Amino acid sequence: MSDVILKPDQLKPATELVGKALEQLDRILLGRKELHRLVIIGILSRGHILFEGLPGLGKTALVRTIGQILRLEFKRIQFTPDLMPGDILGTHILQQTDSGNREMVFQPGPVFTNILLADEINRASPKTQSALLETMQEHSVTLLGQTRKLPQPFFVLASQNPIELEGTYPLPEAQLDRFLFRLMFDVVDASTLDQIISERRRGELPEATWQMERSELESLFEIMGRIFLPRPVSRYIARLVSSTHPGTPEATEAVTRYVSYGASPRAAIAIAEAARAHALIAGRPTVGFEDVKAVAEPVLNHRLVLNYQARFDRMTSSKLVREILGQLNEAGMKLPADVELEPA
Amino acid sequence: MKSHSEALNSLARKLAVTLMLRGAIRWCTAWFFIWGAVVLAARLAGLADYRLLLLGLLGAVPLAIVAAVREYRTRFLSAPVRAAYDGLNQCGGLMMASESNDLAGWEDQLPAPKSPVLRWRSGRSMGVFGLSVLFVSVALLLPERLTARTGSKPLEIGQLVAELKAEVETLKEEKILEPEKAEDVQKELQRLQEKSSAIDPSKTWEALDHIKESNQNLAQQAAEEAVTKTKNLTEAEALAKALQMANEMGLGDETATRVAQELAGMVKAARLEEGLLNGSIPPELLSQLEGLKREDIEKLLGAIQFNKSALGKTVTNLAKLKLIDPKSLSQCNGAGQCPNPAGLAAFLCENTNASFCDAAAFYCRGGVNRGRGDAPMTWKDESQEQGAKFKEEALPSSDRLTDAQFVGVSRTAPELSGEEIVAGRGALANAAAGGGAGNAQVVLPRHKQTVQRFFTRGD
Repeated sequence: MSDVILKPDQLKPATELVGKALEQLDRILLGRKELHRLVIIGILSRGHILFEGLPGLGKTALVRTIGQILRLEFKRIQFTPDLMPGDILGTHILQQTDSGNREMVFQPGPVFTNILLADEINRASPKTQSALLETMQEHSVTLLGQTRKLPQPFFVLASQNPIELEGTYPLPEAQLDRFLFRLMFDVVDASTLDQIISERRRGELPEATWQMERSELESLFEIMGRIFLPRPVSRYIARLVSSTHPGTPEATEAVTRYVSYGASPRAAIAIAEAARAHALIAGRPTVGFEDVKAVAEPVLNHRLVLNYQARFDRMTSSKLVREILGQLNEAGMKLPADVELEPA
Repeated sequence: MKSHSEALNSLARKLAVTLMLRGAIRWCTAWFFIWGAVVLAARLAGLADYRLLLLGLLGAVPLAIVAAVREYRTRFLSAPVRAAYDGLNQCGGLMMASESNDLAGWEDQLPAPKSPVLRWRSGRSMGVFGLSVLFVSVALLLPERLTARTGSKPLEIGQLVAELKAEVETLKEEKILEPEKAEDVQKELQRLQEKSSAIDPSKTWEALDHIKESNQNLAQQAAEEAVTKTKNLTEAEALAKALQMANEMGLGDETATRVAQELAGMVKAARLEEGLLNGSIPPELLSQLEGLKREDIEKLLGAIQFNKSALGKTVTNLAKLKLIDPKSLSQCNGAGQCPNPAGLAAFLCENTNASFCDAAAFYCRGGVNRGRGDAPMTWKDESQEQGAKFKEEALPSSDRLTDAQFVGVSRTAPELSGEEIVAGRGALANAAAGGGAGNAQVVLPRHKQTVQRFFTRGD
């Protein structure tokens, strides 16, 4: 983070680049502008995203399109119960060299790519799921004592089906925490469906008319690092994450009632990064409270461990986060209860 | 940016003023509740002066100042206010960044400067404040009868009790009241003073009035006794002085003996040793009063004058304490005068057969004036004037009085025995010897208004 905020002429090209990418995404995939915005935010934040939605809603198409627009290598793994870690990470196989000797040669798995689509990730066994932990956090693979770096940038875009849960292995909290966002794939509305049917022959996606250069993506990452995060905003993020923990001074009544475990420090980092990306897309050199609010829900909704009481009361993580956002004072001013500040 | 700075400063100022005012009101509210409770407790216990309690209200002023200063010192720093301004105006962090960065080029991106609305829902605070003011007002203005507890507030009867104690002490010193009884009354007065209550003062007042009345009755009784004794002593003194002077003028032994015997009778009739005011004549004189020698007359005279003086002093003391009315004092003083002992002495020498007692009373007359007899007048059926006539009577000419002869002095009209006495007629007819002249006038109905005017005229 730099103390000197970006000049308009420095930020404007980056904002235009992101705008173009979003425009392409919105043109190719219809009806999910907000989701596309969040996905781009996740990419700019170098975070992994967990998609949750029913089959056939376009998860794979979204990931493939992103790879196409960003000119990034894309691979897909369909997770099944018998999938082994080696199937993902790669394995050593015995091969005969030209000299006639035999040696173990590393055969990289599909994880060695820029964008990895882990489809129905919750169907793989915990052992296989755990194979992704290092790759997601360290962006590297260690096999037989040898660590291999993954190509940069590296994103895991995983999906899971909220139905047909029989025979699935819910992701452990440690792994869920490594995802920047959990995004819900909802059914598109009728007008969008009509547009898809009438404009897309057999649902085939149109080709991207513009693609981002690798250097341009790198410049975006560089600009991201120069988005100014004011201290009041960082304090707000800290209080927001702290308020998800029952027993803390910031915790709301609902948190105390429904939450067993709150979000980790990784969540605070994720919110700060995502808020920066949100400000970049908005064309601002500084992060505001509205940026934090925009990204807080997808960042936190898979990081809260709710108790049984929440299930009984049909309380979800998203509702809880919205409630916290509504109650928490942005500026941290401990105003008396009978004194209020309102927009003019 | 200047306009945004102004809006930001305006917000900070409004926030500080509102919070200072709020803090002052809250502290004042607390103070009024506390002081109200203190006032109530103090008034119930009767511990503090009302004005002091009223002054306690001023304690709210320094408290309000302290509260305001405290709020001012702990008011929000500029960073949170700036952050709030940024958030409320949707500045996207630019206002926050402007604190430490130059926003050159980004001013156009900022929204129009608007000072956020500061809302203080003061209803509850002001309501509680009003309640506290009401509470302290009620505590201060509560009627005394509701705050005073039974027995906690003594009557302010200290001065009255002191006066009564002085009266009792005087009565005791003058030997009008027995020492034991005086002690009892003193104790009773002390008890009344200590246990008097403002809640039900009637018993105390009744008891004090009773003591006051008893004192006055006793004093009045003593004063009347003093008047009687003084009068008798004065007559005896007059006779004693006259006897002394008559002896020098050559009074005969036989007459002197008779005078001495009558003087002894008068001294005994005075009954000095009886009643409330006990006087005393030396026993050696008393034993030989009837055979009093000439040289003992001086001693007797001294004893009589001493007793008169003691009686006068007693009555004066009683009058000073207003236990008796001034009229009694003047009666007593009047009774102690003997204007013409030389005349009586001459009378003794000339009238050896007369009653010396009566003569002494005559020469001492006019001493005691009991004043007019005020009595309610009742009028019955009016009598008719028609036919009423005065009884015509021819009065003797006044020049015949020059031939009148003094035959004696008596309290009643002279008795006539056969021979017509000229002196019994004329202007002094029907006049009592000791009571002054008077004409037996028949009062007719037409005199009614005149009589009424006489008795209703001012002093």
